[in-house]
Amino acid sequence: MKGIQVWLTGLIVTVAAIALPVLFFSTKPVEAGISPAAALPQHTIHTSHVDLMPGPYATGQEVTMACLTCHPDSAGEVMKTSHWTWESEPFTVPGRDEPVTIGKINQINNFCISAIGNQKSCSSCHVGYGWEEGTANANLAQAENVDCLVCHAQSSYAKGSYGDPAEGIDLAAAAQSVAAPGRAQCGSCHFNGGGGNGVKHGDLDTSLSYAVAETDVHMGEFDLVCTDCHVTHEHSIQGRLVADNIVVEPSEQVACTDCHVGAVHTDERLNTHTSAVACQTCHIPSMATQDPTKMYWDWSTAGLKAEEDDHYTYLNIKGNFEYATNVQPEYVWFNGNLAERYLLGDPIDPSRPTMINLPAGAIDDPTARIFPFKIHIARQPYDTEFNYLLAPITAGPDGFWTTFDWDNAFRLAEARMGLAYSGNYSFTETWMYWPTTHMVQPKENALQCNDCHTANGRLDWEALGYPGDPMDWGGRTPQP
Amino acid sequence: MRLTRIHFWMAGALAVGLSTAAGLAAQAFAGTTATPIAQTSPMHPTFALLDADGANVLASGAPVSTSRTCGVCHDTAYIAAHSFHSDLGLSASAPAGEVPNGQPWETSVGLYGSWDPITYRYLSPAGDLRIDLTPIEWLKLNAARIVGGGPAEQAAGVEMDCFLCHLTDPGHVERTAALSAGNFTWANTATLITTGIVSRSGDTYTYNASAFTPEGELQPAFVTVHDPSNANCAQCHGLAHSSPAPLTTAGQDLTQRQTATTGQIVSAQKISQSGMNIADKADLAWAWDLHADRGLECVDCHYALNNPVLVQTSAKSQPDSVIFDPRRLEIGEYLYRPSHEFARGESAQYTVSADLRSTMRRCETCHETTKTHAWLPYTEQHMSEVACETCHIPSLHAPALRSVDWSVITPAAEPILEWRGVEDATGTLQDLITGYEPTLLQRADADGKTTLAPYNLVTAWYWLYDDPAGPRPVRLEDLQSAYLSDGDYHPAIVQALDANGDGLLVDGELRLDTEAKQAMVRGRLEALGLTNPRLAGEVQPYSINHDVVRGEAAIRACDTCHSSDSRIGQSVSLAGSGPTGVTPTLLGSGGLSLNGSITSQDGVVSFTPATEGLYQFGSDHIAWVDWFGVFAVVGVLVGVTIHGGLRYSAALRAKKPHGGPVKRVYMYSVYERFWHWFQTFAILLLVVTGLVVHRPEMFGVAWFEQAVLVHNVLAVLLTVNAALSLFYHLVSGEIQTFIPRPYGFFDQAIVQTRYYLQGIFKHEQHPFEKTPDSKLNPLQQITYFGILNVLLPLQIATGALMLGVQSFPQMETWLGGLPFLAPFHSLVAWTFAAFIIMHVYLTTTGHTPLANIEAMMIGWDEVPDLDVPMPTEPTAQPTSGD
Repeated sequence: MKGIQVWLTGLIVTVAAIALPVLFFSTKPVEAGISPAAALPQHTIHTSHVDLMPGPYATGQEVTMACLTCHPDSAGEVMKTSHWTWESEPFTVPGRDEPVTIGKINQINNFCISAIGNQKSCSSCHVGYGWEEGTANANLAQAENVDCLVCHAQSSYAKGSYGDPAEGIDLAAAAQSVAAPGRAQCGSCHFNGGGGNGVKHGDLDTSLSYAVAETDVHMGEFDLVCTDCHVTHEHSIQGRLVADNIVVEPSEQVACTDCHVGAVHTDERLNTHTSAVACQTCHIPSMATQDPTKMYWDWSTAGLKAEEDDHYTYLNIKGNFEYATNVQPEYVWFNGNLAERYLLGDPIDPSRPTMINLPAGAIDDPTARIFPFKIHIARQPYDTEFNYLLAPITAGPDGFWTTFDWDNAFRLAEARMGLAYSGNYSFTETWMYWPTTHMVQPKENALQCNDCHTANGRLDWEALGYPGDPMDWGGRTPQP
Repeated sequence: MRLTRIHFWMAGALAVGLSTAAGLAAQAFAGTTATPIAQTSPMHPTFALLDADGANVLASGAPVSTSRTCGVCHDTAYIAAHSFHSDLGLSASAPAGEVPNGQPWETSVGLYGSWDPITYRYLSPAGDLRIDLTPIEWLKLNAARIVGGGPAEQAAGVEMDCFLCHLTDPGHVERTAALSAGNFTWANTATLITTGIVSRSGDTYTYNASAFTPEGELQPAFVTVHDPSNANCAQCHGLAHSSPAPLTTAGQDLTQRQTATTGQIVSAQKISQSGMNIADKADLAWAWDLHADRGLECVDCHYALNNPVLVQTSAKSQPDSVIFDPRRLEIGEYLYRPSHEFARGESAQYTVSADLRSTMRRCETCHETTKTHAWLPYTEQHMSEVACETCHIPSLHAPALRSVDWSVITPAAEPILEWRGVEDATGTLQDLITGYEPTLLQRADADGKTTLAPYNLVTAWYWLYDDPAGPRPVRLEDLQSAYLSDGDYHPAIVQALDANGDGLLVDGELRLDTEAKQAMVRGRLEALGLTNPRLAGEVQPYSINHDVVRGEAAIRACDTCHSSDSRIGQSVSLAGSGPTGVTPTLLGSGGLSLNGSITSQDGVVSFTPATEGLYQFGSDHIAWVDWFGVFAVVGVLVGVTIHGGLRYSAALRAKKPHGGPVKRVYMYSVYERFWHWFQTFAILLLVVTGLVVHRPEMFGVAWFEQAVLVHNVLAVLLTVNAALSLFYHLVSGEIQTFIPRPYGFFDQAIVQTRYYLQGIFKHEQHPFEKTPDSKLNPLQQITYFGILNVLLPLQIATGALMLGVQSFPQMETWLGGLPFLAPFHSLVAWTFAAFIIMHVYLTTTGHTPLANIEAMMIGWDEVPDLDVPMPTEPTAQPTSGD
């Protein structure tokens, strides 16, 4: 048998002498670069709550108390977040003596203008229950008011007035359906910001619920959910909206480069762009590719019954609108922070547009990159005597949407918010900048050289501060 | 905060600017005040418009003279004298019949005087009895494609129109209308209609005073002079699309010349984002034209030949020590005398200024190809045989003309057109554009290389007659007389062609598909006084060089060419419904070899390009090599089966084979066994992978790449093994066993042969003793001598030469090139395969069928022990077989 052993050894040696070199040459060197998927968070294993949440529950608060028996820290965690507080950390703002916070709780935008005073409607997107006008301090202190279901219930749930569950909701069924938040839960508020689908964001709307790759390559092709990028730790969700902040620390923000690391383009010429051009600029060539987004809102015609009501052009309660699809963004330098944020009571110059927010950055700011924005333009009310923007009360039985009386709406606001009203109002143009960062399209759709580097390209080089097309005139950083 | 204010103002200013521009544009069409609507020139100074006398047109009211106006700063005489766009072949005019490679009625190689069967109308040579076009008529008819100067200046005094190519938005339509109407004096001034500088009043034009300064110069806003843009070139040449709006064109528009003849569209837009109904559009996610996408413009490649920025100095005319020669025109000198001879390629049509042929940069003068094509086997070979365009313009996605049939005409005096790349061409956006693959033809480039390059072939049929001066195409007006009367078909024509008798000639009926129909038309032409009217046909190749795609979209699949249905030499349909019995002639020029065969059946004409001199792996095979191989392998198989069968039946009849004592002998050393088995596996795998490489379509295309790799690695291993074993055998002296001894060799070989043919069946002992020093019988010796010393080295050498074709091409060429080496390698491989079968069979001829294999495995062989006398069998020296 020794012969056979020798033979077998010999066979192995022979085969190895052939196979090893073949394998060595067959193995292609792995492309340098790390799969973006490697950075994605692990999804926790779902635990069915059908048996854990037997019900019945009479109020949302009862559900929350049931949740807290097993998740005792969760309400406390939520109550530290801006989903609950509706305001940012305090910022030092030029022209203000004390640090200020910014959020729905104390500031306005140029859509429905003010959430405060209009809690009856607006609280439907607050992660809490029973927030009535003037009860902020008391309401927001109560842990049982945290609405676990709005983010976690996968079915059978909707919110009604003051953030309470809508009439007729089967809370037990909703409580039994809880799981990690999906697109539908985040989207119930974020797809409908500004009062309807796609109103506020050009890059977030219900087309993402069942996204196709052409709309959003992350969700459509790779089936990502919001929390894959907006990584959540103890209910604190990464990623900040610049409109409600002045400074966003990079650590708080979600960046493409969290997952897409290294030399992401094979063409070196493209990699040289990344120091001056944000990923979004090329990879989100257009916004609102499926559902239209609101570009213009004229409050001055509200209440006049100026036209027949039509969701996309005119509503008597809101005035005239313009919606658009496949919108080409506006491009400005952006370093991730704001240069300006209009704060309630700030004086305006009614002869020209007021910037509710303005991105910070310029060609000489090395941290700034050219970034795509949706600019939402509105005509909204201001006090012609005090020269500041007004915040009308629209919701509720006395609100403008019921009475169509602007004067009364401003007087109510004076009482509820302490914003003095002279008795004279008019309408002025305001702008808001909304960063475009979702709805990244497949790479085939990314902008190509010709989209910017031609006589009639997308970028206005001189407006951006270049002497001319940097392909001809050189960029802001000298090429090696 | 200061910067943010700037942002704000910039945004505001932008908005105001945009709305102003829109408003101004609207006003411009109102027409009363002069308003510039095009982008103003960032650099060009303001100037006065001068008339032919050099007087300001504001004072004289006369037409603008471009040579006087632009001549203030630029040498317009030099420009006009150095411009083939202007000359159009006039300076190379020759009497009819004397144009090189020309038709007998051609008088020039340029547009002015050359024959174009697509447009059909031609400039009649002087002295013809029947005149189709006089120079003036020719100008009017070709108005849309005439820059001025050259023949236009000679015949009608129309100067070269600088505005047409150098204004942002020239009034090409207005100018064309003026020329067509014979308003030659004002034609160039008409170009300014879109600028707001002039207004039309009747047949003349007036100057809008508000466009001028008080000093009589144009206001800066009206100076829109710039380098020609793609849109300027596109006015005459084809479709260029540069707006972000989806491109929508049904194509099939003969005024868009290059697009109509080839399907080329110059646009940065992705095909997938265009508005047409294109088959599999979503997969075409790349720009129509990669160079347009990258921001290049026509003039970047077709530049003025004395442009100091782009001028190329030939490496041949420079000493080796110089790479870049900075001695060139100063920019001011260039602007004074910019040559309007532009770098150009090698189109087969319009061979005007033949000396400028291939003055353009070729792909490889801008692109580094060796690094990016490292993946491509035989890179050098491919580069020298195949033009870049062949792989990088894999298909065209707009309709391209296939045939033009002037043997018949429609009531509108138009020919029957057929288009490639479109289904049911109706000329509307509803047409399904299927695209087409260009035909690959061999082209002799100016640098002496002959490469395969893509073309569209356009076939045309027309009637000829004999003028006393020579053959001429039947004039359109004569065709009309023959076919039409009162705006519809002549009753005789309807009667002859109306197959279904409904009194109408629908498309299918409008063709001369029988001799009788042709005779009838011929008779009608003869009745007009035309001598010897007869049908003729020709095929013109249109070169395809634009619409280049990136590597990802280029042809990468080897089997496109290297398979039995190779693109190269593939026949292409030339026409589906031409007149029968007329085989069109191939017209090749511009270095093009239009060799091939035309087959025509019932008017359906096909062309098959010749592929002489091209040997394509995978497509071309030398059949006898494979037949020989198959016969050899099958023959050996059959032989050993019969032999084995006979041995088996003989064994059954015998009582007890191979009795007698045996002894164990250490026959094969460890190294010998390793060498043997290594060789076994290597050769088996080489044969298997070689089969895949040789005939991938039969043995698995999917494995082709891996097979090539494994084959190459194994080949190297086998060679190393062979070299090591040669060293071993030489040093150990074992080599002796492989060398046949001349003395008595034939006798011994005969003995051995006789044994295999007779003795083996009678259970005789092997005629020669097998010992460690003498393992091989004479037949083995001669066989292995041949295998190891002839076939194996040959196989290694031919394989290495094929592998190294790029590294030492001279050697390869000297040995007959791939067309010889590759089939030879296959032939030897077949021989190896046959040998293996024989070899394995013969191993079973030991004292037991598996004894020899076992010996080769464990080294110890059992051979008859001759020290012990054998009682029964007669003596013969026992040895083993293989």
